Amino acid sequence: MLKKTAINKISELAAVLMEKGTLLAPVKEAAGFNFREISDAGQVNLHFHNTIISPKSAFFPQMEDFVRYQTGKSILEAAPVELNLKPVFLFGVRPCDVKSFEIMDIHFSGTGAVDPYWKKRREAATIFGHAFDLNEAADPAEFYHTLGIGAADPQGSDIFMVTKDNDLLFKSITPKGKKLLEELTMLTEASAGDRKYFEDYIARGHDYKTRFASVEPKAIATEFESIFDNREFWKNVSNACLSCGVCTFVCPTCYCFDICDETLFNKGTRRRVWDACMFTDFTLEASGHNPRTNVYQRLRQKICHKYSFSIRKYGVISCVGCGRCTRYCPVNIDIFSIVEQAVKAKWYKRL
Amino acid sequence: MSFEPKILGIACNWCTYTGADLAGTTRLEYPQNLRVVRVMCSSRINPSFIFRAFQLGADGVLVGGCHPGDCHYNTGNLYARRRLAVTRKILEFAGIEPGRFRVEWISASEGNKFAEVVTEFTRQIKNLGPQNKFKISQ
Amino acid sequence: MTSSFKSIEENLKAEAGKLLESGRVEIVLAYGRGYDENHPMPFVAKHPSDVANMVFNEYCIHNLARYLVRYPRGTKIAVAVKAADCRAVIQLIQEEKIKRDDVVFLGIPVYGMKNPKTGEIIDSKTTCGMYNPVLYDVLLGEEVHGQKIVSPYDVLADYEAMDKEARWAFWKKEFDRCIRCYACRKACPMCYCDPCFIDQSKPRWGDKSPQSHGNLMYHLTRFHHLAGRCIDCGECSRACPVDIPLYLFHKKVAKECEEMFGQAAGMSIDDKPALVNFRVDDSDKILE
Repeated sequence: MLKKTAINKISELAAVLMEKGTLLAPVKEAAGFNFREISDAGQVNLHFHNTIISPKSAFFPQMEDFVRYQTGKSILEAAPVELNLKPVFLFGVRPCDVKSFEIMDIHFSGTGAVDPYWKKRREAATIFGHAFDLNEAADPAEFYHTLGIGAADPQGSDIFMVTKDNDLLFKSITPKGKKLLEELTMLTEASAGDRKYFEDYIARGHDYKTRFASVEPKAIATEFESIFDNREFWKNVSNACLSCGVCTFVCPTCYCFDICDETLFNKGTRRRVWDACMFTDFTLEASGHNPRTNVYQRLRQKICHKYSFSIRKYGVISCVGCGRCTRYCPVNIDIFSIVEQAVKAKWYKRL
Repeated sequence: MSFEPKILGIACNWCTYTGADLAGTTRLEYPQNLRVVRVMCSSRINPSFIFRAFQLGADGVLVGGCHPGDCHYNTGNLYARRRLAVTRKILEFAGIEPGRFRVEWISASEGNKFAEVVTEFTRQIKNLGPQNKFKISQ
Repeated sequence: MTSSFKSIEENLKAEAGKLLESGRVEIVLAYGRGYDENHPMPFVAKHPSDVANMVFNEYCIHNLARYLVRYPRGTKIAVAVKAADCRAVIQLIQEEKIKRDDVVFLGIPVYGMKNPKTGEIIDSKTTCGMYNPVLYDVLLGEEVHGQKIVSPYDVLADYEAMDKEARWAFWKKEFDRCIRCYACRKACPMCYCDPCFIDQSKPRWGDKSPQSHGNLMYHLTRFHHLAGRCIDCGECSRACPVDIPLYLFHKKVAKECEEMFGQAAGMSIDDKPALVNFRVDDSDKILE
């Protein structure tokens, strides 16, 4: 089913979605765009390239409360935090980020142990994918095409959106999306021309090059395994790394978290907050021993996790090429350049 | 009900704390709003104590130390003077009324001064009203 | 008009090559190619042949003093320093983190540096406003003269004019945006504590979750720890992914310290950091 609306009427659509549930959409903030819960329909702004923080925060917020308790009282009195979710509409997610949900599903629900918080949030959400603007040049930091993700891939979205001049075209991809699209009566039926445009756009998305390279996951995994102990290589690529947490916090496929008990005046909450493998205390053990004291060990862990361990274990690269880590790195470290260097490392004599 | 502020007092063991003792033994009256914590020297005070006190609900913080030159450890309060001056500027720039934080030099024999300072400071905090900026809401 | 970046780059390569070949230093900290021209990266040369990869252009804004403390004590290091970075190295020498004899200052007199994220010129707005390194062993270009001297504290005027309610509202809004990625402390050349106070669990100074009170505690204490030591390079605010203007607070604290103690951070290797020093005749007025 293909429907459409004028872009300047987007706030009307937003108002309808807000009535149906919670709307999460890109909002312009001081530093750039971010997905936020919309309280005023006029806030929705689709003139963005991509957000700073990835949309993973919709399903895996930076801070999630689990249990509230009081110190000195029985554990039986502690109250688990229940999620009572209204339907969530995640509006305007770029194709590469949509792909990241699939990868995150592996960790949070695909391998046996199911994270109820992730699962509930995921089930409550309807994803509105939004194609990149193909007339605009790609950001030099991005490389999703290199990883085989098109700039207008509708897979994974429930409804996929494409901009046509001053109109926004909506196509339902899943039954859930179809049902919703039928309910949105304010959208008008698209013409045959629109339909053709939509199909062409998706096809064109595959030719939208981000970087002129392509990768073979199996080969990369092997390369990284072979250079895992090449300390010289890792020290060299991590020379500039500050070991801050920017790359992991903005990454759509980083899922490490820390469980903390935060207590104040006898009242406390057990919650999880994002953690980053780039922090020194990430691997700090209770004994005081820290297996990853050096920057190169932490950077190696991060890159190998995405490009080697994940491929070995689940067969997918745990990276979608959105380019956020590169764009927001304070010292401009580019993860894909490291991958390229790793592949060449065999021939590297003195690194 | 009138506003009864919570005031944290951090007093150095050798001068101000002894001065407070003297105020007590000479039966001087001063407001009960002050809760005193004893430290060995005013330079032992980590500025984070002060930020944390404001977060945990203090309406004012009073720091007491020996008079400059009289420090039990010779130079402790000279370091503290510079450090706490910076703390004051930081609180001020963050938007806390500078009057909520005060440093006084009170020696062991100045029980009178201790009582006076506490009375005066409590009055000042009462005028400023409750501190809600840093306070963690529960 | 801008500095001649090309000639600085040539001089940098030549000097670095000489130093590495003669064995005077083991490591040269400079700038290298990033993923594109606007995004150069800090670069470490350990061999004379590495110098070919060095670059210098208007986007080489990173403060390389950050990396000095990473190497074992006694490692001979040459470091490319702009005016603010130079002050950072001097400050590190004052704090005895490194020795003067172990460092070779490759001074870069420069103006017109640009922030790659926004493209704006950063001289004096977010940095210390100086053009020539305070101290150098080798100067890699002509000293800059005739540029407008702007006080680095000029940008503070609007914030100082706010009343306390407005200031609190401003900073609360800014700190609430913090995502606690700690890029500010990691990019800061003066933040070398291990562990950082915020990572300690006994006592726990601030919560790990990115809530207002933990953020406030983290930032205020960090400003305090950098009082009299911040050399105003502005790296913290440039590293911040959500663009919190930390430099404003740092500048304010630096300004107050300069007024109270009569000494700016990192201006001479013979100074002592203002807060680990005292004068018997410091006035009690500073506490009022």
